[in-house]
Amino acid sequence: MAFDSWTLMLIFEFLLFLGIFPLLIFGWLMSAKGRNAIRDAPFESGQTHLGEARQRYMMQYYPYLIMFVVFDVVAMFLFTWGLAFTALPFAQDFLFLVFLVILVAPLGYALYLSGKTEVW
Amino acid sequence: MKRLQGLPTFQELVSLAVRIITSRTFLEIVVFPGLLNILLSAALLTWLERKVIARVQLRIGPLYAGMWGILQPIADGVKLMFKEMIFPELADAKLLMLCALSLMLIAAAPVVAIPFGDGLVIANMDIGLIYVFAVISLFPSVILLIGWGSNSKFSFLGGLRSLFQQVSYEIPMWLSVLGIVMLTGTLNLSQIVKAQQNVWFALPQVLGFVVFFTAVLAELERIPFDLPEAETELVMGWMTELSGVAFMLGFLAMYTKLYLMSALITTLFLGGWLGPFTVPQPVWFVLKTFVVASIIVIIRGSFPRVRVDLLLKAGWTRLLLLALANIFVTVVLILLGLDWVWRV
Repeated sequence: MAFDSWTLMLIFEFLLFLGIFPLLIFGWLMSAKGRNAIRDAPFESGQTHLGEARQRYMMQYYPYLIMFVVFDVVAMFLFTWGLAFTALPFAQDFLFLVFLVILVAPLGYALYLSGKTEVW
Repeated sequence: MKRLQGLPTFQELVSLAVRIITSRTFLEIVVFPGLLNILLSAALLTWLERKVIARVQLRIGPLYAGMWGILQPIADGVKLMFKEMIFPELADAKLLMLCALSLMLIAAAPVVAIPFGDGLVIANMDIGLIYVFAVISLFPSVILLIGWGSNSKFSFLGGLRSLFQQVSYEIPMWLSVLGIVMLTGTLNLSQIVKAQQNVWFALPQVLGFVVFFTAVLAELERIPFDLPEAETELVMGWMTELSGVAFMLGFLAMYTKLYLMSALITTLFLGGWLGPFTVPQPVWFVLKTFVVASIIVIIRGSFPRVRVDLLLKAGWTRLLLLALANIFVTVVLILLGLDWVWRV
C-alpha cells in the first residue's frame, strides 16, 4: 500500500482528530455546568468588566507590515533561487546577489534612522 | 467482478483489518514517529519543564505521582478533563473549542515530514521544509481567532501580540535556513540529514543556527519572548478564557509545538539521526530533540522578558540582517568550493 504524501498527511490528521475530538465531547458531558453572572463574566483580575473587548487597539505595527509584505514574497523567491544556486552559472547567481544588496541597503538605512530618531 | 457484487465475508474483513493494522505505514502513523510518540513526548515535556524549572529555582518539582513525579502529566490531564468548561457569556464557545481542536491538529502536522531515522518518516516529502514552514505559519491566525472569540481584553491583546510576534519572526526563520538549502540543493528533510554525514550544519551555518534558534524561541512564545502570555501583564494571554478540555488541548498543542520545533532544529542543524556510536537512529534523534528542548526550558528559567517594541525591532532589523548575512557567508563558502562536504 503506497500512498501519496498528502494522503498520508490527511490520514494522520484524521486519526488525530478521531483521538482528540472524543476528549472534547467527554469533557463537555462530564464537566459540571452552572451559570451565574459572576462566573460568566470575562476574566479581568476581579474587576467588573466593561462590555465588549472587540474595540480598536493602537498597535503601531504599520512599518513592520510593509516590511513583511516585501520580505514574505522575497523569501519564497529566495528559496527557489537557493535550490538552483549551484546548478545556475555564477553570472546569474550574481544578478540575484545584486538584487539582495539593493534590498538590504534601504533596510540598513532604516535601521540607522530608527536608531537615530526612535521612530519605531 | 463476481467478488465486487457480493459483500465481503467477516473473515475477509478481519484479515483486511489485521493487514492494515500491522502494515508499516499504519504503525508509523499511529505509533512511532506519529501520534503516540508526539502525544507522549508532549506530555513528558510538560513534566520535564516543571522538573527542570524547579531545579533551576532550587525547588524539587512534582514528586508524588509515580517515580520522580513522572505521572504528573496524566494526573493533570485527568483533572482537566473533569473541570468545568467556563466560557464567558460574551465569548463564542463553539469557536473557542473548534480553535483549540485545530490548534492541536496544526501543532501535530509537521511530524509527517520530519525523519526520525533513515526511512523512518511518515511521508517522505520532497518539499518537506516548505511544508513544515507552511504549517507553522497557520498558528498565528488560529491564535488570533481564539483571542477574538473569547471577547476578553486579556485574550484579545494576547492574540494580537502573538500574531505580530509570530508573523515578524517567520521571515528571519525562513531566511536562516536558506543557507542549508543552497548547500544541499534540496528541500527534502531526509536528504538534508544525509548531507550532514561529515559535518553538522551547526558549524558552517553558525549564524543561521543562532538566528533560527532565536526565531524558534519567539515562535514558541517562550521566555525571553513570551509577550503573548506575559503573566504579570496579560494573565495567560490568549489562553485566559480557555478552560477544561479546551485548555488542555491548547496547552498540549504548545508542548507538541515545542517538541516538533526542537525536532526541526535537530534535523536541520544538529545532524538528525546521525551519531557516532551504533545506537539505533531514532534513539539518537529523540535524545538530541530532548536535549534541545531542555536547553529551551533552561533558557526559560534563567532569562528575563524583553519589551514588546524591542522584540519587534530586534526581529526585523537585527535578526533579518543576520539571516541575510548568513546567505552571503554561504555564497562565499560555495565559491571557495567547500560545498562538496555537504552535497548529497
